[in-house]
Amino acid sequence: MDRIIEIRRYSLARENFALRDIDLDIYDNECFAILGRTGSGKTMLLESIAGYYSDGSGSITISGKDVRTLPAEKRRIGFVYQDHGLFPHMTVFKNIAYGLSMRKKGKNEIRERVHDMAAAFSISNILDQYPGTLSGGEKQRTAMARALITKPDVLLLDEPFSALDPATKDSIYGQFRRIREQYRCPILFVTHDFNEAQLLADRIGIMSDGRLCGIRTPKMLFQPFEDDELNRFLRIDRAAE
Amino acid sequence: MMKGRFKLFECFSMFILAVVAIFISICLGAVIIGGFSSLRESLFSDEIQFAIKLSLTTATISTLICLFLAIPCAYTLSRKDFPAKRWVTAVLTVPLSLPYLVLGLCLLIVFSSQMGQMLRDAGFRVVFDTTGIVIAHILVNLPFVIKLITEAFSEVDPRLEFIAGTLGADEWKRFLTITLGMTKRAILSAGILAWSRALGEFGATLMLVGVTRMVTETLPAAIYLNISTGDNDMAMAAATILIVISLLTLIITESMDKKRSRTVRS
Repeated sequence: MDRIIEIRRYSLARENFALRDIDLDIYDNECFAILGRTGSGKTMLLESIAGYYSDGSGSITISGKDVRTLPAEKRRIGFVYQDHGLFPHMTVFKNIAYGLSMRKKGKNEIRERVHDMAAAFSISNILDQYPGTLSGGEKQRTAMARALITKPDVLLLDEPFSALDPATKDSIYGQFRRIREQYRCPILFVTHDFNEAQLLADRIGIMSDGRLCGIRTPKMLFQPFEDDELNRFLRIDRAAE
Repeated sequence: MMKGRFKLFECFSMFILAVVAIFISICLGAVIIGGFSSLRESLFSDEIQFAIKLSLTTATISTLICLFLAIPCAYTLSRKDFPAKRWVTAVLTVPLSLPYLVLGLCLLIVFSSQMGQMLRDAGFRVVFDTTGIVIAHILVNLPFVIKLITEAFSEVDPRLEFIAGTLGADEWKRFLTITLGMTKRAILSAGILAWSRALGEFGATLMLVGVTRMVTETLPAAIYLNISTGDNDMAMAAATILIVISLLTLIITESMDKKRSRTVRS
């Protein structure tokens, strides 16, 4: 499988927190979950890959290109925040169309592609509405449609399902699988839900205190770590071994 | 007992509110009633028509310049960290607490200096000239507009600009479509308030350009000149015109604020 994202000894320091020596490879068409406690650096890592920070050390390569000094608009990344990050002053239509209009696509092409994408995400009936009037599930689908319409090389999702109720989650999980089959781009998503990680991911990276402590397959997720803190987080009982 | 105490406080607050509202109404009413009878005559007088035209022109030009300067200043203050940011912010805020006469005096000193002389020789006349009215308005209003727009920009989540970037927008497009897009009502509101303040500005203008009938005579200057020469009716008529314009701008800004609150809440 082709390596799409390569991260080597990436570190980033902020006032009270730092990412430290992250080494990570993400392969084509892979779904990779980043699991960890709140404050372990998961979102910061995602934002670093997407270009929110420009002062990290080490290297980040996407599709063979060193992107550390590349601005976000040149990285071909799709990004969805936990709170969806929809533009409140734009309708659902304009939100989804935004990426295409930034790439100077024609009006007819934009209209057609937005309608196709809306149909795929079952949000055709809300295209004229503003984000403030949408339900959590509708916002989530709009944000995903907006990120995917530009056909990104990589899709980054920050706790995409955490704000949803269990019933909506099940339906969104199904949609997530269909997205994977249809778009076939690597997906990196952050979660603190072990079940979700095991259900959806091909591999799972566990983060703690700014470090990537281990990468496991879903089946091997609950093998004990050396770090007791991680074992506590994953509720692994070493004594039972 | 608690209920009784609470009602007493309520009554006291309502009483104070009524006294304040009545006092202000009497003050405004005295001018409006006094000026109403001369309103028609003043609206047709050359002097008042000149004053209205000069006030509207200078207020509009200074407001546009203020907005043009304030927007990049506000963006930098709301988004960037740089050395001496606190000092720069303090320098921009100090004029807000200075009397307008002092601001006018500062401008008078600057534009009466050698530099002012050079500008005058090059054709850019400020002291005792209508250009000076615009400059005075700018110094009075620019810190105020920068403050309002900085607050508006600070309310825009920088992550939305970042998401716009991931969707292909460069820095300019992020600014135009997201930052400005989300704050256009606030900016317009700031512009209208600045325009209204410029219309009524007198202290700094008096210091820098003086008050010359039919030359540097704005509406506030017309009030001052007519009171000084004993023509109270004309002064009150000019004041009534100013009050009406201020009321209209207040109504427009309130309705824009309501629309903005609805968007933010949603």
